Amino acid sequence: MQNKNTISNQQIKALLVTTVIGVGVLSLPSDLAMILNNSGWIAIIIGGLLILPFIIIMDRLFKLYPGKTFFQIGRKVMHPIAFNIILIIILSYSILLLSYASRIFAEVIKVYLLETTPTEVIILTMLIAISYIARSKLEVVARVAVMIYPIILGFIIFLIVINLPNADYTNIYPLLDIEYKEIPRGIMAVIFSYAGYEILLLALPFSENNENSLRYCMRGILMVIGVYLIVFFITLSQYGVHQLKREIWPSIAVIKEVDLPGYFLENLDGIVMAAWVMVVYGTMGPFLHASGVILGDIFNVKFHELFVPPLIPIIYSISLIPDNLIESDRIMGRILNYFALISIIIIPTIIFILAYIKRRKDKA
Amino acid sequence: MRKRILIILLFSLIFLSGCWDKVEIEQRIFVSDIGVDLYEKEKMNRFIVTYQYPNINAIGKNATEDKKSFVLSTPCSSIFQASRELSTKSPFPFYFKHVKVLILGEELLKEENLVREVIDELNRDTKINKKIQIIAAEGKAKDILNTNISREHTVDGFIYSTVKDNKTSSRFTSQTLTGLISDLDFSGVTLIPRITIRDNRYNISGGCIMKNYKQIAWIDEKENRAISLLNNKVKNETIDTIYKGDLVSYTVTDTRANKKVRIDDGIKADFSIQIEGYLQGYILDQDKTAFRNEVLKEMEEVMEREVKREVEKTINKLQKTYKADIIGIGEHLSKFEPKEWKKIKGSWDQIFPHIEINVSLDIKIRRTGLTK
Repeated sequence: MQNKNTISNQQIKALLVTTVIGVGVLSLPSDLAMILNNSGWIAIIIGGLLILPFIIIMDRLFKLYPGKTFFQIGRKVMHPIAFNIILIIILSYSILLLSYASRIFAEVIKVYLLETTPTEVIILTMLIAISYIARSKLEVVARVAVMIYPIILGFIIFLIVINLPNADYTNIYPLLDIEYKEIPRGIMAVIFSYAGYEILLLALPFSENNENSLRYCMRGILMVIGVYLIVFFITLSQYGVHQLKREIWPSIAVIKEVDLPGYFLENLDGIVMAAWVMVVYGTMGPFLHASGVILGDIFNVKFHELFVPPLIPIIYSISLIPDNLIESDRIMGRILNYFALISIIIIPTIIFILAYIKRRKDKA
Repeated sequence: MRKRILIILLFSLIFLSGCWDKVEIEQRIFVSDIGVDLYEKEKMNRFIVTYQYPNINAIGKNATEDKKSFVLSTPCSSIFQASRELSTKSPFPFYFKHVKVLILGEELLKEENLVREVIDELNRDTKINKKIQIIAAEGKAKDILNTNISREHTVDGFIYSTVKDNKTSSRFTSQTLTGLISDLDFSGVTLIPRITIRDNRYNISGGCIMKNYKQIAWIDEKENRAISLLNNKVKNETIDTIYKGDLVSYTVTDTRANKKVRIDDGIKADFSIQIEGYLQGYILDQDKTAFRNEVLKEMEEVMEREVKREVEKTINKLQKTYKADIIGIGEHLSKFEPKEWKKIKGSWDQIFPHIEINVSLDIKIRRTGLTK
């Protein structure tokens, strides 16, 4: 196979969607229902729209310095040491997110599929499988994303189809009974579910066609908003708001509510878990790849393959720190939320502002 | 080197293949029905839990045994604790993924906290299908499962087929675990089917009104039909009335019920029910024909009066005697008038008996069968 070093815009879109949709989608509906009751959909929409300006910022950043990667731009506009610190922040964020994702992944698998398999084994096998894809080039990661992308779409369509016959649609009312004070908290809860779009910092410079990539990215985010809205409304109409608040992972548990005539579809959790493993793979792969690339850049090396395996024990041990599910959800999740805020919103903005000023100075 | 790796890989095929915790399917006991009764309220063993499971060897063409199913029961502290207690008496481990029916005994239904415990345990469990049917037993659940034992047994369980396949009938209203929980969340009351023993056979008819996880009343088939009509849950039903001294029987093919709740000065609820169907039986007589419009219209009127009386009687009973809002007025308000609902939510039990409820019925006889 020929060794291509660029990726198409379609691949960027797939990469964006698969990376953003990950473990967050499982608990998102119930987290939102806790804060905003029936009007949780508003946080999904606002949260998604809030992300759009930052994607534009990323796109502009690369337009300012065409052909340069994020790291080259960073070293140009900032003091190298300061930039290294920023990279370390992003790196620790990625590692934390990977540990959190693998822990939640293991917990879900344990509940639904492999109850007697030790958590350690589940996490380790997943990490090893992911390190394989993370060691490849970005182009390969993107190609995997293109493969996983239809699985996500299929999963959503499947959810809609099997839930249509017996959901109670009046459960989504009252739609507009919004508590405005709670919306900021709702957005904070939803922001983690949108984490992952920073993969664009890596992917955009490799785009074949820089002109159009912004449009594809926008479409990707709109798609994610759509998926989250569908999942939210399906779980809400199936459970009703009170029971939705009680569920830990409503997006998967909703499968257990399916009751089609003829009994031929029952206990579908196995099928859904299989699809979901792919979805998590699509999230963790790019993140581990990015961590490897960042580490490679910190050590000023051209390749990143070498830096992926050493990360695995670190991720593995962090993921085993929380004693139970509640701890990993509350403490790890909260730390992760702040890290996410810093590394996906604040850092790109700072670099963009610095790059913009530098550009002005150079021209003057 | 390569050969050595190949050998290791080949050996791993032998030693690392297969599933470590594999259990053969015939070495599992698939519990199909669970019955829960009250035992000793104050002590640890509060329940008597009864499991019914099919005899795998008696199913299929080449059945080797006669007995269709087994029933085991034990005093214990919780539903799943019972499987530990019973493991000393049964050859294989119990397996709960295919539980279809939960029967709650009459005495247990009177204890709110214990019912809440049972429901929570099932709702929390990862194996239990959340669509299991909940049934209230008049008497002991254990006796009902024991009566059922000698009957022919389908794989799914007999009671389950009765509830599930007749769910269009309005003799009872089938209720699932999630349905029960969400009803009790929204309006605090729900209706579950009643099961009794009559002539050594089980009989599912009527229902049990639960309010805040506690049984408050049994209702009969007629009342259940009225409630089903109001809740738009009737699909197949026969209505019998006397028209000019002859019995007219009418089969319902389609019903639609609409609910409108207005808040002006006081809350008013309007139910409009449309029923469509055909004439099932009248009388063979030279002088009497149903093939005339006036006759049909009169029949419709008689039936409307009859059903309306029945429905209004039931509504009155719900409002005044049971104070139970099964017909979903509170739920409707909470969904479509959230602001008003927040004000009256706390005192709903006092408000509900005084709501003005109007029922309008529209029965249409569309066909008269093959004869005039």
